[in-house]
Amino acid sequence: MMKRKTRNLIQDSVVSTVAIALGLIIIFPLIYCLCGAFKTPHEFLTPKLLPGSFTYVGNFKEALEKGNLLRYTVNSFIIALAGTSIRLVFSILAAFAFAYYDFKFKNLCFFLILGTMMIPADVLLATNYLTVSRLHLLNSYLGVMVVSFVSASQMFMLRQRFKSVPKDMREAAQIDGYGDISYMINVLIPICKPVITTLFVHSFIALWNAYLWPLIVTASSPNMRTIMVGITKLNSWEDENYQLVLAGVCISLIPSLILFVIMRRNMKKGGMDGALVG
Amino acid sequence: MKTRTTLKQRQRAKTRKKVFLLLLPIMLFAILFIYYPFIRTIINSFSLVNAKGIIKGFAGFDNYAYTYGRKDFLPALRHTLTIAAINVPITLFITISLALLANKKRKLSPVYETLFTLPMSVSMSAACMIFKSMFSPSVGFINYFFGLKLGWYESQETALAAVLILTIWMGIGFDFLLMLSALRAIPDQIIEATRVDGISPARRIFKVQIPLISPTIFYVLCTNLVLAMMTSAPMIIIMGVSSAASATNTLMSMMYQSGFSSSDYGLAAVLSISAFTLTLGFTILSFVFERRKVHYQ
Repeated sequence: MMKRKTRNLIQDSVVSTVAIALGLIIIFPLIYCLCGAFKTPHEFLTPKLLPGSFTYVGNFKEALEKGNLLRYTVNSFIIALAGTSIRLVFSILAAFAFAYYDFKFKNLCFFLILGTMMIPADVLLATNYLTVSRLHLLNSYLGVMVVSFVSASQMFMLRQRFKSVPKDMREAAQIDGYGDISYMINVLIPICKPVITTLFVHSFIALWNAYLWPLIVTASSPNMRTIMVGITKLNSWEDENYQLVLAGVCISLIPSLILFVIMRRNMKKGGMDGALVG
Repeated sequence: MKTRTTLKQRQRAKTRKKVFLLLLPIMLFAILFIYYPFIRTIINSFSLVNAKGIIKGFAGFDNYAYTYGRKDFLPALRHTLTIAAINVPITLFITISLALLANKKRKLSPVYETLFTLPMSVSMSAACMIFKSMFSPSVGFINYFFGLKLGWYESQETALAAVLILTIWMGIGFDFLLMLSALRAIPDQIIEATRVDGISPARRIFKVQIPLISPTIFYVLCTNLVLAMMTSAPMIIIMGVSSAASATNTLMSMMYQSGFSSSDYGLAAVLSISAFTLTLGFTILSFVFERRKVHYQ
């Protein structure tokens, strides 16, 4: 018995070591990025991994000031926050309708919304660009976020969650004199807070990380760029400021990494539902 | 009796109004920014479209003939298919192996699970910039570490290889998580039963665990296929589409180039529709395949 236990222990530690080694290989690009960001321009010319010291912050300063990344970070925050909020509100409203009411064309509407998942956003780029430019929304925050207001997967998750709330809850609330809206705000949303938080975090990361659409919409106004577009403009073929670029990348990764950690904790607590949709 | 029906009717009208208001926002935006552009793209591909995106007449299959006849179309198609064909199996292999490795809960599980899933939080453009720097012929770490002297972006093959490594890396985190949760959802009794029966670990993996998670594998296969077919950002960020390096274009980066650099919306529409049709075709194919190979519990 004892023997088996020790054998298991050895096996586990071997597997763990292998797994951690593999994990370090996988996150190597991130380690590389962090190290590169602290290198001086001179150090960068020798392709060693580690910088001389982790105290040189000139790259970050230059990226924020000369690269205008500070402005881009603010832009990204506004867009990600507002876009996520609007998207969630739209999803909650629709999910509420599908979970609590019966109406004509219910199935049709439901499948129309779910059907949006079948169409990859990249296919729509050119036409959406024309629509947004006709609405005079180019180079505006609204223009950047307007295409991401619909999230069928979020709506679907919320509907499933709303349906799992006992019907008695709603009846009790009705007897207490709660109308639909106050029921939604005061009862339903607090109950479903874990799912809503997860969806919020996911949406925020998705919008923060968006690249192609912001690039197109803000093409003619450098001040409106998001950070993800901004970091790609920090170098050119003639001027490879990679240390500057990597510092910019580090800055752009901070919010998503923080949210990632929060999300993982949330998942462990059992909020796994909704953890896997965008 | 009469008042009751009117009451009911009034209530129904009220419900209808509420439902309408609740669904209005999401439906409006779904139609305006997803269904309308989708249909419009199909129509554009059959029309004469000017540089402002206005339809000037019916063109039949002219746009298609023009696009498919272009010198740069076939290479773009080939690159798109190559990326999908190499990316998908390698991603599946890596993520299944990692998930099998991480399946059992150990003391250090949280550590390596976090490491495996970390690429998930990195955005496409950030990853592109990191890899661009790593593969840089002059100061990049890859050439230095492996003692290579490759100008990664100079030839088609190496540029595609760099893009492939990047896209595979991007997919690892999320797909690993899916595989892991599928593996852990297999009931303990089944695994215990294989142990009692004295089945070897290799047989257990291939005959029990992988068939049991085949629905997830199938899902990952489909989503990765779509993502791989839509690859465009690495081409735009790393290679710079307008430069001579457009030798590594995919369908979608060619679409980007034609739509936004040269305002050729007819060409852009044909490329969009082609990529979409290809993706749809492969998805349907994999659904046919699914019927034979995927086991649902």
